[in-house]
Amino acid sequence: MTRILRFLQRHAWAFASLLALVLLAINLLVSPSFLAPDRLPATLATLAPFVLVGFASTPSILSGGIDISVGPLATFINCLFVAVLLPSGLGDWYSAIPILLIVAGAIGTVTGLLVTVARLHPVVASTGVLFILIGLATTISRAPVSAPPNWSDGLAQSYGWMPGAAITIGVVALAWFLLRRTTYVRNLLATGESDVSAFGSGVNVTAVRILAYTIGGIFAGVAGIALSALLQSSQSSLATMYALLGLAAAVLGGTALGGGKGGLLGTFFGAVVIYLLQQLLTAIGVQPSLVQFAYGLVLVVGVVLGATLLSPRLTRSRA
Amino acid sequence: MTEPTTAAVTQSLTAPMPSPAGWLRFRNWALRTPFIQLIVLIALSAVLVALVPAFIARPQAAIAVLVLASLLALAAMGQTLVVILGGLDLAIIGYVTFGAMIASNATSRLGWPVPIALLVVLLVCGGVGAGVGWLCHRFRVQPLVVTLGVGVMLAGGSMFLANGDYNGQPPQELKSLAQLSGTTFGLPVPPVIPIVIVLGVLIWVVLAKTSAGRKLYATGINPRAAELTRINATAVWASVFALSGALAGVAGMLIAAFGSGWSQSIGEPYLFSGLAAVLVGGTTFGSINGSFTRTALGAVILTVLSTIIVSQGLTESQSRIVYGLIILGVVALYGRERHVRDRF
Repeated sequence: MTRILRFLQRHAWAFASLLALVLLAINLLVSPSFLAPDRLPATLATLAPFVLVGFASTPSILSGGIDISVGPLATFINCLFVAVLLPSGLGDWYSAIPILLIVAGAIGTVTGLLVTVARLHPVVASTGVLFILIGLATTISRAPVSAPPNWSDGLAQSYGWMPGAAITIGVVALAWFLLRRTTYVRNLLATGESDVSAFGSGVNVTAVRILAYTIGGIFAGVAGIALSALLQSSQSSLATMYALLGLAAAVLGGTALGGGKGGLLGTFFGAVVIYLLQQLLTAIGVQPSLVQFAYGLVLVVGVVLGATLLSPRLTRSRA
Repeated sequence: MTEPTTAAVTQSLTAPMPSPAGWLRFRNWALRTPFIQLIVLIALSAVLVALVPAFIARPQAAIAVLVLASLLALAAMGQTLVVILGGLDLAIIGYVTFGAMIASNATSRLGWPVPIALLVVLLVCGGVGAGVGWLCHRFRVQPLVVTLGVGVMLAGGSMFLANGDYNGQPPQELKSLAQLSGTTFGLPVPPVIPIVIVLGVLIWVVLAKTSAGRKLYATGINPRAAELTRINATAVWASVFALSGALAGVAGMLIAAFGSGWSQSIGEPYLFSGLAAVLVGGTTFGSINGSFTRTALGAVILTVLSTIIVSQGLTESQSRIVYGLIILGVVALYGRERHVRDRF
């Protein structure tokens, strides 16, 4: 028992993956066709925005800050693509993808500059950016605009045998995998664990932090594209929901809010848990309001479990 | 050459710093008091009157602005205390939804009298808040996440209890408290404004004049030092979050009365605008200068500002953008953190 516990403590993602497996099994019991190959692309496409927004909120949390504006950033990119780029003729993939990712990365960088150079509290800085993004998104598309047929459609279905959503998630996962080969992620974790010690060891704390927010912004841009692929319309009203879901996925995945512990793998399983829970509750016919209740409950129970049973540091951190 | 005596050295270490003079003194004073907020408010009011002269001719319009501002201030009252403590309460969304649901549905569908409804809201929201505060402090969990989860739970739970019924109407005695036609002792001012003022004075007395207020500030500034001076930090956290919940629940009841009913998204604007009011007022995380006076000023500033924006034919979404810019600007003035270099 203690060995299991120690394994869970050492690997932040293990608890979420265990929970995901259990929920997957229950889901298969309730609706056996859940993983049928012909349903897989649609399932993954619904899952992709959850996962990607979770990915987007992870780097900033790892750096010891927090960015609650990534969810609204994803919906802003969605509105920008559907309500501005597509009507103005810039909607081809070779022009739209660079524009969207550069805009998203730039907005992430601005948040990062506000946190590091202007030295605002991360919650305050990202709340300010959240207001601006929600305002911009509703200015661009007050009512949902539906998109004409376009290339992003394929990302919600499949290219040959390959589900389109595997591309959006895969690109981000690959980018993170490559980053892990560099010293950057190690510096990021060191900064999150203790910025003072990292600074003393010669890490350029400011640059590492700014880059964390930039990366989060770019990931949120990919999330916006995946969202557009799924919805095929602009939905500015989803902003707050995704702001909450992204955080929830990262926290459930074992990413410590103090920074320095966690990673994208955990966030992936965290998002899967949220998605499977939603599917399960909908499949057994629970009201949407109770699904929302369950979201909140899972989040609270998850974070308390993570802080008590699964954290070896509790005794040390008592004042 | 004479060696400095021990007494001289001791005196140089214990003597208070010379108080700064001139500009520095003024700057310190301006940051310690809500001076800038007051100037901004006066300037904005002048702009509003210049742009919309009808505000002088019809006091009703000014009272409408004040009613909106006092609802916002009431919803942000608990948040102020939580922010002084160094936390963040995102469950406001749930408390406001629950209060609004009880005020609209329980009174009209179940026939609850207003005092019972008020008692239920105070008990449920206060109890949930106390639980949140205890949980966060006992297990060292970030209040951001716990309150987020609890807020979603409360909002979902309220909708489940209401069972899709959004047509309930608050009773007339509750409506007369918040709606513009209400009067207080014959004056054409809805009672919600004096209620918020009285509550604000109470909060000021507690924060500035009692040991409970000192404990709150001490815990916010340095939790470890506070515990070493034998302040029961867990109790402080539990009671502050309980107060935040109870106040937001009452705010929800009055918001429902003002708007004659409720909807599932009633809490959302009050969460984010309430936080904006706290920040614009100049209260930052764990700050000694935080107070409800500042938040009330912040709420009036934001309401006047959005009135100006809407009167100029811009939309609500553009006022969101301005809110965001203002938050960033004000906090850059007040709440900047120290550079890593200086903490090393």
